[in-house]
Amino acid sequence: MKRITIDPITRLEGHGKIEIFLNDEGEVNNVYFQVPELRGFEKFCEGRPVEELPAIVAKICGVCPGCHHMASGKAVDAVFGVNPPPTAKKLRELFYMAHFVHSHTAHFYALAAPDFVVGPYAPPTKRNILGVIEKVGKEIGTEVIKQRRLAQEIQALLGGHQTFVVMNIPGGVRRGLSETERDDIADKAKGFVEFAKFTLKIFEDVVLKNKEYVDLILNGPYSLKLHSMGLVDASNKVNFYDGKVRVVDTEGKELCKYSPPEYLDYVAEHVEPWTYLKFPFLKKIGWKGFIEGQNSGVYHATPLSRLNAADGMATPLAQKEYERMYTTLGGKPVHATLAMHWARLVELLYSAERCLELAMDPEITGRELRAQLGPIPGEGVGIVEAQRGTLTHHYWTDEKGIVKKVNIIVGTTNNHAAICMSIKKAAEGFIKKGVEVTDGILNLIEMSFRAYDPCFSCATHCFPGQMPMILEIREPNGELIQRLIRN
Amino acid sequence: MKIIKKILILGIGNDILTDDGIGPRLVRDLAQMNINPNFGFDVAGCGGLEIMEHIKGYDKVIFIDAIRTRTGKPGAVYYFIPSDFRETSHLSNLHDLNFLTSLKLGEILELGLPSDLHIIAVEILEDMVFGEELTFPLKNEYPRILRKVVSLIKKIAEK
Repeated sequence: MKRITIDPITRLEGHGKIEIFLNDEGEVNNVYFQVPELRGFEKFCEGRPVEELPAIVAKICGVCPGCHHMASGKAVDAVFGVNPPPTAKKLRELFYMAHFVHSHTAHFYALAAPDFVVGPYAPPTKRNILGVIEKVGKEIGTEVIKQRRLAQEIQALLGGHQTFVVMNIPGGVRRGLSETERDDIADKAKGFVEFAKFTLKIFEDVVLKNKEYVDLILNGPYSLKLHSMGLVDASNKVNFYDGKVRVVDTEGKELCKYSPPEYLDYVAEHVEPWTYLKFPFLKKIGWKGFIEGQNSGVYHATPLSRLNAADGMATPLAQKEYERMYTTLGGKPVHATLAMHWARLVELLYSAERCLELAMDPEITGRELRAQLGPIPGEGVGIVEAQRGTLTHHYWTDEKGIVKKVNIIVGTTNNHAAICMSIKKAAEGFIKKGVEVTDGILNLIEMSFRAYDPCFSCATHCFPGQMPMILEIREPNGELIQRLIRN
Repeated sequence: MKIIKKILILGIGNDILTDDGIGPRLVRDLAQMNINPNFGFDVAGCGGLEIMEHIKGYDKVIFIDAIRTRTGKPGAVYYFIPSDFRETSHLSNLHDLNFLTSLKLGEILELGLPSDLHIIAVEILEDMVFGEELTFPLKNEYPRILRKVVSLIKKIAEK
């Protein structure tokens, strides 16, 4: 049996290893995707006042600190049995929309665009953001950096720090917004909307008008028929900050819909001996293995699944783009993994529009920033949508609010099984008997999981990483016959 | 007239991840020492695009980061510049872009990033376990590490 090792992975947050086992015929036998784990996070939290957790969890991941901070803030509210006043809620959501704008922008231009703008077979030295700028021009590159920075400025203003966020306190937020600050954010948000529209235009020109790419998206080995999860508001529209978790099946029918405190009734985690990272699945169906289709217990929680699970977008321009996407791709739900890139850009537009809506909301400059705390129920769950999937924080405390136990289901963890299956499917599609495994083929396999925008930094409670890639092809007896090193 | 350069001392790392926090810890202590009034002090969690925003507007930047080499002794202090770049924990472990790509990006887009860059790296023992304390070898060696870093910073500032 031949063995291919990709270790670690480029342009992926956190470091991991893909091992592709070939059979004697040179075809894919099995694929294992592994990530190293940092240890002791739960222990680190135990014994601390629960109100410290929102600031601490912002440090467990350098990639989506704002998401952990928000989920944690909501879980802490629940531990104290309080609901933040409307102004505080809106300020949190405003921060969060800026977080989505900056993160989705970075993913598209730095991580996704190189595969399409420069091309999946381009040499790695060109297949990066520098290659993208060479193709599309310096002005666009400057605009990307600018819009990302403006979104960061909003987060720094409301969050106290753009990365190490200290915004949420039990029952509210630590600061309000002046009229001048609100006007400044509104100006920035107007720019975000134009920038999101422009980015969708680039996607249309570069990807949708290229028959080869459309064929790759729709007919390549990238399709995976799984159930779709996403947070929705009372009208079943996509919401990142609040609402209920809705899951639709592979045909788009609602499987379940639950409030945050009920998550353990609907989601369980499967363990495999070859990885530290667990595999969440739908309890109602049960763990049936790494299979796709209506009888599978596996779901995905991604920009595409969020759109699949919802009845639409809550803002007008994003709604139009949502409709255009499903019309173009043949209706709901869509199971083409690479369509996640389009869905992510629909979300970028929604985030920008919602950011503007919130900035213009008269309540956003209100002075009631915190609710009065009551008795401590001692248990709380907070759920938000992280860029990489549904994020759940669950805390247990004693009667004084001292942490006894912590459980976190990270966005990427939801997609662990789906990612493994996507890699296997892509590997099976591209690695064939007698075909040399080139760097271009490796990249086509990488594209299958890069679409998920996975972040194993916090999935394994690990800090972000980007490392060189090594590919090793071995004879059945283990002898090394080919090695590719990138970066 | 002598032009006064703005110098940033930037500690990179996660201070709840045992030795990974050595950079931010050193920067916090350095900030209390009144070494040079022209020094600015800051900490960051990761590199790439994030780093670009931190260093913009300075003439010279001294990064302080953790490093793990195959044979290094925990507590050893290294100095290098981007042209003889070796991977430290966070200048190569980034969310979106690696540090050198970001520098190149800044150059292409004419973002006005400083080109006078220096890296001080401290050999660490553990960065896979959550904890606010340094491991014993680094804790034990910390006064010497701090002295060495101060000495290096003074030399770099004079260049």
